[in-house]
Amino acid sequence: MIFWLITTLIKILIVFGVLLLSAAYLTLLERKVAARIQNRLGPMEAGFHGYLQPIADGIKLFFKEDIIPADANKLLFILAPIIVVIPVLTTFAVIPFGAPIKIFGHIVPLQITNVNIGILFVLALSSLGIYGVVIGGWASNSKYSLLGAIRTAAQMISYELSLVLSIIGVIMIAGNLSLAQIVSSQAHMWFIVYQPIGFLIYLIASTAEMNRVPFDLGEAEGEIVAGFHTEYSSMKFAFYFIGEYGQIVINSAIITTLFLGGWEGPFLPSVLWFVIKVFLVILIYLWFRWTYPRLRYDELMDLGWKILLPLSLANIVVTGFIMILLGK
Amino acid sequence: MEALFYIFSVIAIVSALMVILVKNPLTSALYIILCFFALAGFYILLNMQFLAAMQIMVYAGAIAVIIVLVIMLLNLAKIKGAIKDFHQIVISIIAIGLLALEVILYLNAAGEKKPTGIYTNAVINKIGNTQIIGEFLFTKYVFPFEVASILLLVAVIGAYIFAKK
Repeated sequence: MIFWLITTLIKILIVFGVLLLSAAYLTLLERKVAARIQNRLGPMEAGFHGYLQPIADGIKLFFKEDIIPADANKLLFILAPIIVVIPVLTTFAVIPFGAPIKIFGHIVPLQITNVNIGILFVLALSSLGIYGVVIGGWASNSKYSLLGAIRTAAQMISYELSLVLSIIGVIMIAGNLSLAQIVSSQAHMWFIVYQPIGFLIYLIASTAEMNRVPFDLGEAEGEIVAGFHTEYSSMKFAFYFIGEYGQIVINSAIITTLFLGGWEGPFLPSVLWFVIKVFLVILIYLWFRWTYPRLRYDELMDLGWKILLPLSLANIVVTGFIMILLGK
Repeated sequence: MEALFYIFSVIAIVSALMVILVKNPLTSALYIILCFFALAGFYILLNMQFLAAMQIMVYAGAIAVIIVLVIMLLNLAKIKGAIKDFHQIVISIIAIGLLALEVILYLNAAGEKKPTGIYTNAVINKIGNTQIIGEFLFTKYVFPFEVASILLLVAVIGAYIFAKK
C-alpha cells in the first residue's frame, strides 16, 4: 500500500514537472519552427541558440505588473486562467506513457491511474477547457474580450462533435474504453492504418479545440486585438499560454495513444518511443500553424458542420460495416 | 466513502441553492456546473464511472456551455434590481409540498436493500459497467431508448424550424 502510494506520488510529480517544462519549452520550439519556415533564425540571444529563452520569458512574466481592469468581475477574472490550466494538467493522469516496469518485485504501470473509462475521462476534461476562455473573456468587461469569447464558444461547440465522433472508430475496433487496453490492442498494427480518416478528423478538430491558427478566430489579432486574453497581463497571461501549450502536448499524447500505438515499438525503451511519437505529432501541429492562413468565420463553420461532421459519421458507419463483414 | 458522500452532498446542495440566490447570471451558471460535478461524484461513489463521465461531458461540457453562451449574448449583467412577482406563490407552495412528501415517502421506503438481479457489484466491476449499460440499452430497455431518440429528433427538427423563421 505504502509502496503504491510512493510510486504514484513520484509518477504524479514527474508527469506534472515534465508537462509544465515541455509547455514552457514548446514556446521556444514554436518560435524556432516558425523561424525555420520563414527562413529566419528565431531567438538566439539567451543562452546557446536561445535555449534559455523560455526561462527568461518566465522570469519576465513573473515580475510584470498584474493589472485587473477597473470594471472587471474580479473573482471570475482571477478564476478564469486557473480553469484553463486545471483540465490540461489533469488529463495526463490516464495516459499510459510506457510499458509496465518492475521495481523491487512490484509491477508498476507507467500511467498514473488506469480507469476503465479512460478515453471518456479525457473527452470530458477537454470539453471543460472552453470555460476558462469564455469566463475570462466575459469577466474582462471589454468588447474585444467578449467578442473573442463568444467566437471561441461557438467554434468549440461546433468542433467538439467531430472530435468525439472521430474517436468512436478506434473504440469500436479496440472494444474498450481504457487507454492501456487500447495501446495493448495496437501491438500488431497501429490504428492509423484502420482509421486514417478518424486520425485526420481528430487532428483538424483538436487544432480547432485548441484555438490555434488556422482556427484562432477567438484571438484574431488583426480584428479583435487579442480576443479573450486582451486584458490579461503577468502570470495570468502566462497561465493562458501554459494552458495552450499544455494542450498541444496532451492532444499529441492522445493521438499517439489512440492512433500511433502509444508506447509500443521495437528496440528502444517504451518511454522513449512515446516521447518520440509525441514530439513528431507536436511538430505536425506547429507545421500546421505556420503553413495555413486563418479561416474566415463562415468558412470555419462550413468546415466543421458540412465536412467534418458528416465525414466522421460516415467513418463510424463504414467502420461498423467492415467489422461486421470481417466477422470481428 | 461515507465522508465523501457527505462532502459531495454539501457541495451539491449549497451550489444548487447558490444558483437561485446569486444575482449575477453568469455566476449562477457556474454554480450549476459545480452542482453537475458533485452529481458526477455521486455516480463515481456508486461505481458508475460511465455515467459520471457522461454527466461531465453532456451536462457540464455541452448544455452548460450553451447556457453560458446565451447569457453572454444577452448581456444580462446590466440588469439592476430583482423583479418581485408573487402571483405564482400558490403553485410554488403546492410544488414544495409535493416534493417534501416525495422525499418523506422515499426516506421511509429506503433501507438496506440487496441487489436483486444477477449483476452484483463484483460482476459489474469484472465486465465493466459501460458494457452492461450498453447491453441493457439495446435489449431490455430498447423501447424507452428509441422513444427518447425520437423525442430528441423531434426537438432537433423543431429547433431547426424555429431558427429558420
